[in-house]
Amino acid sequence: MDVAIIDYYANHGESFLHKAKALWKMVFTALVIASIILTNEFYILLGIYIILVTIAVWTRLPVSKIITIATYPAIFALIFAFVIWNGSWLRAGVILLKALAAALTMVLLIVTTPYPDVFNTLRPFLPRIIAEGLFVTYRSVFILLELTDELIKGLKVRGGITRRKYLRNIRNFSSGIGLLLVKGFDYSEKFYGMMNVRGYGGRIAVQDKNMHMNRYDFLAITIGLLIFAITISTVIEKSFLEFGVYILVCSAVALVISSLYTQFVN
Amino acid sequence: MSHLHIPDGVLPGWLVMSGWLLTALILAFSIYRTRSTELKRKIPLIGIISALMIVCMTIPIAPIAYHINLSVIAGIILGPALAFISIFIVDLIIAMFGHGGITVVGLNTVVVGAEAFIGFYLFQLFMAIIGRDSIMWSSGLAAVISLILSTSILIGIVYSSQINPELVIGIEGNDPTEQVKNEEIPQELINGVNIKSFAKTILILLGIGWLLEGIITAFVIKYVSRVRPDLILPQRA
Repeated sequence: MDVAIIDYYANHGESFLHKAKALWKMVFTALVIASIILTNEFYILLGIYIILVTIAVWTRLPVSKIITIATYPAIFALIFAFVIWNGSWLRAGVILLKALAAALTMVLLIVTTPYPDVFNTLRPFLPRIIAEGLFVTYRSVFILLELTDELIKGLKVRGGITRRKYLRNIRNFSSGIGLLLVKGFDYSEKFYGMMNVRGYGGRIAVQDKNMHMNRYDFLAITIGLLIFAITISTVIEKSFLEFGVYILVCSAVALVISSLYTQFVN
Repeated sequence: MSHLHIPDGVLPGWLVMSGWLLTALILAFSIYRTRSTELKRKIPLIGIISALMIVCMTIPIAPIAYHINLSVIAGIILGPALAFISIFIVDLIIAMFGHGGITVVGLNTVVVGAEAFIGFYLFQLFMAIIGRDSIMWSSGLAAVISLILSTSILIGIVYSSQINPELVIGIEGNDPTEQVKNEEIPQELINGVNIKSFAKTILILLGIGWLLEGIITAFVIKYVSRVRPDLILPQRA
């Protein structure tokens, strides 16, 4: 979960998804997640996953990095699939694909949308303390990551973490976390002072953007609606599942064409 | 680490919605409870504790991507109300990174929030019984016991995911059209997840984790109590 890399991708991309507004991307995300929840068909889920990978290719970000970040939940999905094993590989595959596809959907949102935009979109639906807490937490993560990096280097250089001395390593590592906590608390007090000096009145200001839909928003919504429509139609009318393999093939073809296009065309 | 890593679309809708409803109620109560404290001062502290929890979740300790939660430490430092708010923020942010389903954030917050809540009160209890000199043992034991209890809640959630609520209402209700017979209940309830297998797997995987997190919590609280004893809350419900 490399927070710094994700934040860099979100702020330095030029794809259609980067140019779409946070609200419409979140609607796209909601439509895709709803599709993943509603269906239990292996081919449909695989098709959705391949479409999401295709979109990841369109973002022109390192696809392998994005897929790796989104593969973390697969470990736990595999454990869960193991405990509900009833001899069906398809069932295990469905659980795995639900985890992978849902994670990739969220990661696509977060690697193409700066965090202030995401939190600002959620702000009307959350209590003030939580909305403000989100901003402050995200800002604090980067500061703590830097402190953690220095701490781990310091521990290694000064022999605080050595091989085979497990209890000593745990004790030193724990003291390091304690140090982060104490430094973090001191920082939070200074942060409060800084916010007051800068006129903080209980609400962190974020630049409001024009909420009119542009073509990029329209494209994101269209793709989301298409995925949702295909999924819901196969849920309502089971006979449409016959076309599941065709959907899969079309997704795979789209992925190949997109990969070739982004590889050879700037 | 009793964080629910179950993906979206696996748990039934009624269970997921119950998690969100319960989280919303507890959040409302927590915000009401803390209304008298200076919230603008507390927001940076919630932010730091939440950020510390997120940073620690990015540090895998064991090959199976085990990570520590620091939820009990959050409970001890912030108190149960603010800790619950902090945990909700953490679960929301990490769900955006694909770490656990976005739809199960409600259930996750309930499970991890229970850790902070139980950990806080157990810490106060052990401090009262054992004494302030054994702050390390009090915090370590509180962490281990709260993790065991929150893992039990997690197993309970997975177990209840197999229960059809209509079936349960039918069993307890007096509707004469209800066709479920009492002798059919065990088969209906155990259909799906092999709960014994799930519980065994979870207990084996997390058992070492409880001990590890208990030890880490003990050393962290010991360090903080020496450097900044004012951060460890006095006895307060």
